[in-house]
Amino acid sequence: MQSSAHTAGATPGVPRLAAHFASLEVQNHAARLGMWLFLSTEILLFAGLFVCYGVYRYAYPEAFAEASRHLDLSLGTVNTVVLITSSLTAALAVHYAKEGKNSLVAIMFGLTIAMAGAFLVIKGFEYSHKFEEGALPGPYYTMEAVQLPGVPLYFTIYFLATGLHAFHVIIGMSVLVWLMFKAMREKNFGPNNYTAVELGSMYWHLVDLVWIFLFPLLYLI
Amino acid sequence: MSVANESSQEAHNMQEHHSSVRYWVVWGVLLALTGLTVWTGSIHIPQFGLALALLIASAKGGLVLLFFMHLVDHKGANRLVMAVSVLFVLMMLIMPMADLATRYRPANPAGSHLSDLPDLEFIEGKKSTHNRAGGGAHGSGQAAPGGQQAPSPSHP
Repeated sequence: MQSSAHTAGATPGVPRLAAHFASLEVQNHAARLGMWLFLSTEILLFAGLFVCYGVYRYAYPEAFAEASRHLDLSLGTVNTVVLITSSLTAALAVHYAKEGKNSLVAIMFGLTIAMAGAFLVIKGFEYSHKFEEGALPGPYYTMEAVQLPGVPLYFTIYFLATGLHAFHVIIGMSVLVWLMFKAMREKNFGPNNYTAVELGSMYWHLVDLVWIFLFPLLYLI
Repeated sequence: MSVANESSQEAHNMQEHHSSVRYWVVWGVLLALTGLTVWTGSIHIPQFGLALALLIASAKGGLVLLFFMHLVDHKGANRLVMAVSVLFVLMMLIMPMADLATRYRPANPAGSHLSDLPDLEFIEGKKSTHNRAGGGAHGSGQAAPGGQQAPSPSHP
């Protein structure tokens, strides 16, 4: 076991090694693997909605194309850029956590949270516009401009997919707020203690990953 | 022992110091690909527009997974989890699509281009949409307005 050279728990910044792990490296590996398993269940959760999308787009291609033209492409593009940039700052937070620069970690997570908030505000404007137009799911659909079979199904999928995604944005923001305060108060993220930052950041990247697929499928038909 | 070796390899890769330039480059490529997908999406290519959009999205997703989520540094089990997850997503997509593509025609959703039945919620010439909120489910033949002849929209 050459890898058990780490003596964990000696300094305050270093996480404790649980008794059932051979070394800190194995413990970190297990934490990452657990996160990947959790993220794969998240991907499969969203995949269910992508299946709905695939089935109904196959059945109603013209209606889906027509309905997607009624989304605001410029707001959707701005939101994509905002989310990709927030992913960059989350990745930079992990980078600075490895170097032990805790104030930069807090700043990067602060920027990520601010961009997440901007994403939700823009999404809120889009939603309120859809509510006014009557572009609502299923039997509540009352938009006179497009009267085609399948259009209410498009808006059902639109609201379910973007709503579930927005819910994940809120969860991700809460995790990042917690990590930001941890970096500000405890100031002990460093080369041997950055697993929390890394896993929180991974969750945020998943939110970005889902949006990368939702954006072309909903806005660019 | 192999777990310990894999973990120490992963720890080594993650510890290895590299500059933050890598993240900025990935960010730039992601923005460029976003611009590309908006451009190709807005010219509405009928034959391969969807395939192109999915290809660009997969390239972007791959960059996020490999560099932002560090899958390029992680080994073995982590990659296996992700590969299996992608495989399951593809299986979940292929099976219902195969069902829809091979269905007995009257079993397809009414009003779609795969069906000869009209969607009774959208009969041609029907103007008022205000008292539809209490109407039946889509494609159900129960809420048919009496006596109204419904022309098939997509089949002459």
